[in-house]
Amino acid sequence: MFMKEMNCEDVLIQKMALIDGEKSEFSAEQIDAHVATCENCRREIEQLERTVLLLNRQKRQAPDADLWSAVEKRIGAESAGGLTVKWQPFVLLGALLVVYKLVEMIPERDFGWILKVVPFVLIVAVFGFLKENPFKINTELILEK
Amino acid sequence: MMDDAAIIERCLKGEKDAFRFLVERYQAQAVGHSLAILANREDALDATQEAFVDAFQALKKFDAARRFYPWFYVLLRNRCYKLIAKKREAENIEETEILAPQAGISGEERIALERALLSLAREDREIVTLKYLDGFSYDEIAELLKIPRGTVMSRLFYARRELQAKLTGKFH
Repeated sequence: MFMKEMNCEDVLIQKMALIDGEKSEFSAEQIDAHVATCENCRREIEQLERTVLLLNRQKRQAPDADLWSAVEKRIGAESAGGLTVKWQPFVLLGALLVVYKLVEMIPERDFGWILKVVPFVLIVAVFGFLKENPFKINTELILEK
Repeated sequence: MMDDAAIIERCLKGEKDAFRFLVERYQAQAVGHSLAILANREDALDATQEAFVDAFQALKKFDAARRFYPWFYVLLRNRCYKLIAKKREAENIEETEILAPQAGISGEERIALERALLSLAREDREIVTLKYLDGFSYDEIAELLKIPRGTVMSRLFYARRELQAKLTGKFH
């Protein structure tokens, strides 16, 4: 089987993974065989183990925080997922109505009643897309003082 | 208790107030994480607040098959790194903000370790605290930081070595 050659740096990285309870790319036997013959690695592992021991005894502070009221104010005017209505759909609607008007002005062409319903279809489509009722009265409107 | 996916679904249906459950569930953890990066409480609170607003605005892009917090952590991290952190004087701290007081560990020891942590590069401090204060596995850290597992291993190793050098003579 192909065995990856190990240098001290590799051994230390892999040994620390084992100390952390993680899988290592080398077997524990391979690592121990290297460590047994390498004084520098042994010394460094001892020191790093002490640091890990010290760190493992610590806990993170979970600071008191009450962010909801601030977050609520910030998201107050928006809906989740960034579906805030922007100006683009209205510009598109305007452009389509202008095109419609130009088509309607073509002389000696009679498209019949179908052409007449196009503006209504466009308006319904845009408001349908926006999920907005144009006739809804906004009872939550508050005038600024 | 309502799970994260159900809360997100409610938010997407227009129930803005449902987002409150997510904020309240994760705010302490998130502030703790941003503190480890920014080392400044005010900045950490600002960054976390902004990250929650970002999350709300991006909820539609959230993949319901994933867990919320790893997804949110990316937004939180971006916010932290966008903030120009006020450099805290690591040598002058009198109380810790990252490490919690605990029975059996003296205040001196805790403050010395926090000073050493604060003197690390932010990325090093972040990865060390994710591993040892939160107990995340290498795979979980890889997911949070969007880096390969092998990179987690080597970055953790060098960060720890750096920390150990800062601590030499204090505890060793």
